[in-house]
Amino acid sequence: MILIKSKGLRSFIKAAVPFVIVPVMTVAGALIFDGKRQIFVAMGVAAMALLLFAAGFEKKSTGTRRMVIVAVMVALCFAGRFIPFLKPIAALTIITGLYLGGEAGFLVGAMSAILSNFYFGQGPWTAFQMLAWGLIGLFAGLLSERLLKSRPLLLIYGAVTGVAYSFIMDIWTVLWYDRGFEIKLYLAALVTAIPYTASYVVSNLVFLYLLAPPFGEKLARIKVKYGV
Amino acid sequence: MRSFSEYEPVAAAIWFLCVIGIAMFSSYPPLMAISLAGAVLFFIVRNGRSHGRTHLFFLILFVILALANPLVSHNGKTVLFVMNHNPVTLEAALYGLNSAAMMIGVLYWLRSFTQIMTSEKLFHITGALSPKLSLVLSMALRYVPLFGRQSKKVTDAQRAMGLFSGDNIVDDIKGRSRIFSILVTWALENGIITADSMEARGYGTGRRTQLKRFRMRGADILLLTVSLVLTAVTSAAIAAGSLSFDFYPSIEAAKPGILGISGMISYGLLVLLPIFIETEANLRWKYLRSGI
Repeated sequence: MILIKSKGLRSFIKAAVPFVIVPVMTVAGALIFDGKRQIFVAMGVAAMALLLFAAGFEKKSTGTRRMVIVAVMVALCFAGRFIPFLKPIAALTIITGLYLGGEAGFLVGAMSAILSNFYFGQGPWTAFQMLAWGLIGLFAGLLSERLLKSRPLLLIYGAVTGVAYSFIMDIWTVLWYDRGFEIKLYLAALVTAIPYTASYVVSNLVFLYLLAPPFGEKLARIKVKYGV
Repeated sequence: MRSFSEYEPVAAAIWFLCVIGIAMFSSYPPLMAISLAGAVLFFIVRNGRSHGRTHLFFLILFVILALANPLVSHNGKTVLFVMNHNPVTLEAALYGLNSAAMMIGVLYWLRSFTQIMTSEKLFHITGALSPKLSLVLSMALRYVPLFGRQSKKVTDAQRAMGLFSGDNIVDDIKGRSRIFSILVTWALENGIITADSMEARGYGTGRRTQLKRFRMRGADILLLTVSLVLTAVTSAAIAAGSLSFDFYPSIEAAKPGILGISGMISYGLLVLLPIFIETEANLRWKYLRSGI
């Protein structure tokens, strides 16, 4: 991801990307690639979404301390990906989003994807993982007030994002395999991915149930003690 | 005389981008065959006979991917046989085979990409674009082994205090989660201290420098130019439609013509570039050693 230094360019991106570039890309992609090369449209849109976030990110001056805490959370996510069957990345991203805000959540999700893929293998799917985990963190931050109040709601959010993550990654699988989008193949991919979907949901539930309260306490304590 | 992994990161990354980009953009079977063969060859040239499990995994995946399409998709004219009241067609089978070749080829390229483009090299590239995020990444990468060491220390201390034993599952889980909790508290505090220490030493006052310096040398520029030129030829052939291939409803291939053939040759050369480099480096190394 790129931090854009020039202010003019940033505001240009913020206006142009959602209202001009993404619609034009989608329509042009549908026309030029006659429905068979939609994977490139999807990749382009994913890249644009990351660019849009980068443009918004620089607006807030992120202090060194905040940056280092993000690095710590990313490292924990990376380490957590080695746990067999259960993957705490989404849960840790949600927790970061809840307590440190949506932007930190997005950053932790996206950075964990790119970093852990140094070990698990980089590829075009990195962009999709970055986007999927990033959005999970971002929405956790946006909904943080409600999610923090009720624990069942938080667990529901965890389960929903687990399913959503699997669905998003399957869109990518089908696009790559078929270069177009065939609903039958997508359904087949969803069915074959059921064990993975279940493992995402279960990991989110388990880790959110176990980690959310103590992690929240620790992050809140750090916030109070050092004024991050 | 340098092996491919010692080339300048930008040049190597652009070479990978060209090779993988064409492999993903095109669906022309000969190009897919070149990509798959080149990817496997490159992986073997670099790794020798090791990584048997990787090869086995990719072989199984190849078979699954090749079979998936004819079983799910029933487009195509030539019906081979009927299974569960659904026709299995020759076109769908060949399409599946082609897709599988594309995907496995790209997966092999990405395996080599992960081996060659180490985190340090990618930080070299991203550092030019965004020093801040590249710093977050490299700090996170450094924290992983640090957490491992610290967790061992905490575990030892807990054991010495007799707080948990390994043979009782409930005790074990409780103990592990306590260690994790301690570790997180420590990591967050340590992070804050690191941040303060960084600021005290003047972080953010000047340009960030890199540990390892990569310079563009003659050979890097040569690699960059050659890969861009070869990619341009192949892309032109693809864009002009000389390398188009339709599977549905029946198999139809355009006549490649001179442009199409030169496109295929260019892609073949592009794929072989680093294999030439590796072989040349190996041979010269052997020659130099034999002279001692």
